[in-house]
Amino acid sequence: MRDKNLPLTETVYYILLALIEPAHGYLIMQKVEELSGGQVRMAAGTLYGAVENLMKLRFIQPVRSEDSRRKVYAITETGMEMLRLDFERMNHMMQVTKEILR
Amino acid sequence: MRKLKFFTDIDKEEIWLNEMAKQGYQLTRKLLGYQFQQAQPENSVIKIDYRTFKRREDFEDYCALFEDSGWKHITGTKSSGYQYFKNINENQNEDIFSDADSKAGRYKRLSQMWITMATTFLPLFVVLMTTGSIKLSPIWNLKSLYYTPGLWEKTGASFLSAFLFETPFAIIRGFLWLFFPVLIVLYLIFAYRANRQYQKTNEGK
Repeated sequence: MRDKNLPLTETVYYILLALIEPAHGYLIMQKVEELSGGQVRMAAGTLYGAVENLMKLRFIQPVRSEDSRRKVYAITETGMEMLRLDFERMNHMMQVTKEILR
Repeated sequence: MRKLKFFTDIDKEEIWLNEMAKQGYQLTRKLLGYQFQQAQPENSVIKIDYRTFKRREDFEDYCALFEDSGWKHITGTKSSGYQYFKNINENQNEDIFSDADSKAGRYKRLSQMWITMATTFLPLFVVLMTTGSIKLSPIWNLKSLYYTPGLWEKTGASFLSAFLFETPFAIIRGFLWLFFPVLIVLYLIFAYRANRQYQKTNEGK
């Protein structure tokens, strides 16, 4: 059976993708906007809640930071697996759609 | 200038604070009441989040994130819950939330806080009752709340002055316990209201 956290929401997907390289909160927001081609613009309060939730799910974890004020996060093995599974799910959708719409 | 006011609706509180800023009153601190400073009238965007933090670093990180995204943290502490922000970058976001889910989330946290308050007072109330620290029985015999010896044998002016003198103490003796149920009921009302706001926001209204 499919994991209950799948499919990922668009924002969660982009946050996980952004955190393949460690980043702090504001950098995540910028990366998400860039990766989504300007489509997903997150506000501070929303990002904070999303990060907190992903920490609880252990999809991301804090890593050592040079900055004393800002926490830096990175994706975990579990997060990586989720990202891969969701990518495959979307890939499948693209393939079947292409065949039908051909 | 200080103002004492209480809101259960965070959206209304935001509107009021922005209205005050328009009249030239800038929020500087919120403890029990609001503290304002006379300033140039401005069209500010003040937004409120509700969050408490376990550790100092978590709070610092939270404030840093908001500052990085153009929101100045006006007032609020690690455990105050209410966090007040003001937009300092006009090109940036209009709100501190970008979806209905997270915007509703602050009401969820607020509602949970009120329920926690109510449920911590409830056992305290029960303990005070069962240990006899507070008694409900004097309500049926109000005379027993007056301790002045021979009070009820007195007459005329001497009765009246002794009676009136002791009445405030008698009220405290007899009805101080009411403080607990009243507070518990109030907290539950606040929790209910916050939860309704949560549902309303979640529906995207």
